[in-house]
Amino acid sequence: MSFFLQYPWLIPALPLFGFALITFTPLRQSKSASTWTATGLMLVATLLALGLLAAVAGSPTHAESAGAAVGEPAGDSAGAAAGTGHGESAGTAAGTGHGAVAGDTTSEPTHKSFAFPAPAVVQRFEWAPAGSSTFAMGVYIDSPVAVMLAMVTIAATCIHLFSIGYMASNPRQSRFFSFISLFTSAMLLMTMADNLLLFFMAWEIMGLCSYLLIGFLYERPQAYRAAVKAFITTRIGDVLMLLGLVYLWTQAGSLALGTGEGEIFNPEFLKRIGETTNALGMSHASGIALLIFCGTIGKSAQFPLHVWLPDAMEGPTPVSALIHAATMVAAGVFLVARTYPIFQADDGTTLQVVAFIGAFTALFAASIAVAQYDIKRILAYSTLSQLGFMVAALGIGGWVAGMFHLLTHAFFKALLFLGSGAIIHAMEGTTAIEKLHHSDEYAAQQTAQDIRNMGGLRTKLPWTFWTYSIGYLALAGIVPFAGFWSKDEILAHAAEDGNFVVYGVLTLAAFLTAFYMTRQWLLVFFGTFRGEKPVAFVNTELHVGHDDHLGHDDHAGHASHTDAHADHSPWHESPTMTAALVVLASFALTAGFFNLPFDIPGGFWLTHLWSQEPAEINWLVASVSLVVALSGIGIGWLAYRNAFGAAQDTDPLNARVPGMFRLLNEKYRVDELYAASFGRVTNALALAWAFIDRALLNGIVDGVGKLTLFVSQVNFIIDDTLLNDGPDALASGTNAAGRQTRRLQTGKAQDYIAYVFAGTLALAMLYLYVIKK
Amino acid sequence: MNLPAYLMPSPDGVPWLTLLLLSPLLGMVLVGLAGALRWDDRLVKIGVAAWMGLPMAIAIVVAAGFASTATSDGQGLVQFVEKIPWIQAIRVDYFLGVDGLSLPLVLLTVVMAPLAVAASWSVTERVKTHFAMLLLLEAAMLGYFLALNFFFFFIFWEFSLVPAFFLIQLWGRENRTYAAFKFFIYTMAGSVGLLLLFQVLYLATRSAGAPTFDLITLGRLGQGLAVEGTQGNLRDIIFAYVEKLGLTASLGRYPLLYTSIAFWAIFVAFAIKLAVWPFHTWLPDAYSQAPLAGSIMLSAVMSKMGAYGMLRILLPLVPDAAQYFAPVMGALALVGIVAGAFGALANVDGDIKRLIAYTSINHMGYVMLAIAAAAAAPGGATQDSRAIAINGALMQMVAHGLSTGVLFYLAGLLHARTGSWNLSGLGGLRTVAPTFAGVMGLAMFANLGLPGLAGFLGEFFIFRGAWATLPLFTNLAVIGLIITALALLLMFQRIFLGPAGKAAHGFTDLHPAELWTTVPFLAALLFFGVYPAPIMNLFNATATQLVAVFQRVLS
Repeated sequence: MSFFLQYPWLIPALPLFGFALITFTPLRQSKSASTWTATGLMLVATLLALGLLAAVAGSPTHAESAGAAVGEPAGDSAGAAAGTGHGESAGTAAGTGHGAVAGDTTSEPTHKSFAFPAPAVVQRFEWAPAGSSTFAMGVYIDSPVAVMLAMVTIAATCIHLFSIGYMASNPRQSRFFSFISLFTSAMLLMTMADNLLLFFMAWEIMGLCSYLLIGFLYERPQAYRAAVKAFITTRIGDVLMLLGLVYLWTQAGSLALGTGEGEIFNPEFLKRIGETTNALGMSHASGIALLIFCGTIGKSAQFPLHVWLPDAMEGPTPVSALIHAATMVAAGVFLVARTYPIFQADDGTTLQVVAFIGAFTALFAASIAVAQYDIKRILAYSTLSQLGFMVAALGIGGWVAGMFHLLTHAFFKALLFLGSGAIIHAMEGTTAIEKLHHSDEYAAQQTAQDIRNMGGLRTKLPWTFWTYSIGYLALAGIVPFAGFWSKDEILAHAAEDGNFVVYGVLTLAAFLTAFYMTRQWLLVFFGTFRGEKPVAFVNTELHVGHDDHLGHDDHAGHASHTDAHADHSPWHESPTMTAALVVLASFALTAGFFNLPFDIPGGFWLTHLWSQEPAEINWLVASVSLVVALSGIGIGWLAYRNAFGAAQDTDPLNARVPGMFRLLNEKYRVDELYAASFGRVTNALALAWAFIDRALLNGIVDGVGKLTLFVSQVNFIIDDTLLNDGPDALASGTNAAGRQTRRLQTGKAQDYIAYVFAGTLALAMLYLYVIKK
Repeated sequence: MNLPAYLMPSPDGVPWLTLLLLSPLLGMVLVGLAGALRWDDRLVKIGVAAWMGLPMAIAIVVAAGFASTATSDGQGLVQFVEKIPWIQAIRVDYFLGVDGLSLPLVLLTVVMAPLAVAASWSVTERVKTHFAMLLLLEAAMLGYFLALNFFFFFIFWEFSLVPAFFLIQLWGRENRTYAAFKFFIYTMAGSVGLLLLFQVLYLATRSAGAPTFDLITLGRLGQGLAVEGTQGNLRDIIFAYVEKLGLTASLGRYPLLYTSIAFWAIFVAFAIKLAVWPFHTWLPDAYSQAPLAGSIMLSAVMSKMGAYGMLRILLPLVPDAAQYFAPVMGALALVGIVAGAFGALANVDGDIKRLIAYTSINHMGYVMLAIAAAAAAPGGATQDSRAIAINGALMQMVAHGLSTGVLFYLAGLLHARTGSWNLSGLGGLRTVAPTFAGVMGLAMFANLGLPGLAGFLGEFFIFRGAWATLPLFTNLAVIGLIITALALLLMFQRIFLGPAGKAAHGFTDLHPAELWTTVPFLAALLFFGVYPAPIMNLFNATATQLVAVFQRVLS
């Protein structure tokens, strides 16, 4: 077994080590040491991940499948798959891939039962006792995992590299790198988790990092509020997912991935939970899958829990690229992909829900993106929309299509976010915005992100322009860029399976995607620069204590030496930032080629690697989606080619349909709806509970105390008047002590105690004899 | 003496548990001596802090010699047993021992007491008395967890109130008198039923021929396990006794009725201590009015005394009634979980100690839920599910003790720096005190159950165990997970985030000594959160045996 297969856990361990080094050693005091340590370790992890991918791809099962694709005889390699060290399940996994290669793809068009490829590595150790059994933890590497690891490490390395330049002037740059290292480590660990508990733990650590990084600029109320909102909103999904996990564990007896006895993809187990029903009348499989899917809705920001992701753009832009575009939000999609057999185990209702939520979010978010001005928020809504595509793909059975789109999207969306970061970085250096920065740095940053204030940046930031354009074409779905191939695969799957509603909705969303990206691209890079007289952001809550410059925005360094740099042009592109853009752009250009839908050498590479059934290109669907994308671009060009001579102009769409534009601009007012409903209910409940505690329960306790006091006083009077003689001295002694300690020494504490106990007894009997009978 | 197989004396013959119990008491005597000699207060503080290492060292010896997976005759093996006849007339033995239920809590006690000492460093009034009280409190708590004869068990139970009362009364905040009396009277009143019950149990077992106050023996009788010299199980023994008294003629011939009465007598006593809703109202007052050391010991250790009592007495002695009333316990747990969470949320602009106190009610609600779930009627549940619930409860107790202790400690440091317990008016302290913010953030995330830290595992295993028998309550309990997180995040935000405000002027970051005080606790939370086997192995075997009785259909 190769080194890469033996030590896969090194991949998450390296960034974790980087996090520990920066957090706990004096290394953090040097910015450059911390940044380069983190980036260097990330690079090594990337090499390990690529090595692992090569080793997995080269292992006997996959070598044979790949060979079969180019027409060589397909031997029965089920046995060879088991050669990796554990006999479980190899037969079923390899079997699926081969039926397809033999050429009879059309023989079973209706129900394709999904199976994972056989794992290449499974390493487990005993982690916790659980009654008479034990809970094992470990890593589980199969080919989808290997591909995900490669994607995550590459994207994370680029983003680390970019942040070296982008965050250079932030005084807390070291901490930033420690957080993104911890994040990357968690994401990698989640990907290779061998059981869903470990998956969930890493998933939550990512949530923590997301919280910390959204609120990285914690002096700003907007930032820390967005951080809390993100954490709580995703936690709503997460606790439901946690219920799904305990449900699954109760049913299956473990949470371990795999098809063996007692593991969660065991065919007999899946059959059983698909056929038995729970108290609500739905099958156990549906119940478990829907609860798990709630985790996806939260993490991948699907409707109705999507509200946190646009606000999460308060975080520094590399964070938006890494966490809120390429990796963490895609983890929700990966979760469904990872537990796919459970989603398929019921009668299909769960996948219909998944498809519906995904398709709806795709269209819903795309329509909002049309009417936004903030460059990052447009990309954020675009991310929601694209995640909706992936979820919908999984919902209609397109496992390969969904995973493929996840991969390509990660590259081009990270590229677009980093590109927007480079643009904002430059914009913040312009004269008008620097001036604004002196009075309000938050407003300055928001103004710098407004696409109305840009224009003509094509010549000012040429590297950014060209790389951004590649990302744009990939997202819009233009051949041969990455997004075309993966999006087309989803659409083709929907059309061929007869899911015309999903197909129609996604096609419409694809049209809007091309349209809003064209709008953004034209307003940013073409026309004339409008930033001299910008539309200034009005900050409704100015901070107090602004004289304190300890806390600063992403790249605060500019502010302090503006005057010295009066002649210094803001339009320069730092080499590390550009390098990251170029690497990502090359992937945005080529990532589609990893799964070309043609029967040529190298075609269907991912499909074969994942031991799935290849789907030939559907020329009709491909042509239609290309036409749709081109018309989106064309209409966008017609609408916006001459729009915005000055930043203050009205958006052409706003001029034509002002009511509609406003509704979209205000994001259908979902946030306001939630604040008015859930927000108020929560606050009201908090007050109500506090009232019950104080007035009712505490009132009873105090009342009993006062009653006791009264009874003992009566007792004392009786004692004093009737039994005066003997106990007189005792009574006066009691009285004197009682003055000091009124509440306790009131006479006969035993009485009081007996009342309480008698009351309890009475309640118990009441329960038994009256209520129960 | 001749011990049955399920009791095992100390392997090397050293009475480790007696030494453990005496060590804080001896420390108290030394403090008294220092007082008589008029030693300097500072010297006493250092001395007590150093002395805290002794119980810890002894507890570590015990833990090291503890055979964690050993079971015998249907129960976890009780180890390091010391059993000496004492008052023969009423069969009172001096009987100490540890098993999987008590050892984690013994360890928690000896670990948290030093934090209470550290938190008392700034006490200036009656210093020696304060530290003497802390040592006395530690001894009483240790005695409670170690004693296996009801006589001693109850003495330690009541006696732990005394130092706690004086801590609140003498060093507390403005409303301390009210809080101290409420705390004392409430707990006292609740435990009278327990006391009366054990008189009855003694008489009942006497009429069955083998009078006893022995908790292990009674527990075995309750579970229907074999005990030398006695026939039948506790339910029949109680019923026979009640019939002999002639009570059955008027109350009816229902064996479950009499175990139910016993159940409620036990339950109320421990539910008050555990602050199960609606018996929780003493808690926010006591925790918030107590001095820092009191808050730490009360929240980290004393509330666990209630849960321990339920595991040691309630479940084994009256399993049929526990099963019968499990839905009631579960419902109270659920209400407590939700009420605690919302109570905390109602305090995000108020008193930080009250906020933490309410999160404790929430967290102890999960423990109650686990106990209810372990006892509940079989809903297709396996013995493993019940064991997992108990494992979760114990894990939760340990994790909550560690994280809440640190949170209270940090709240105290915050108060020392700002002069206020109020959360409004703070803000922006992270800019001037990043380490403080980091440490408090870690303690907070441990408290709200972030995976990777021990609190999560407690909650996860509780949910896993409870799902099998009480799925509805388990589902609704997740509301608590969300709202508690919200309350704690808002607390953190109020203190640390935002632009540096007035409170930030002159605010100093954690001193190295303060930082290193918290590090061991945070490290333990992290270690057990990542790799829980060392601690969970301590109780898994005992828990698995304990719940076996509930697998049979009772009542």
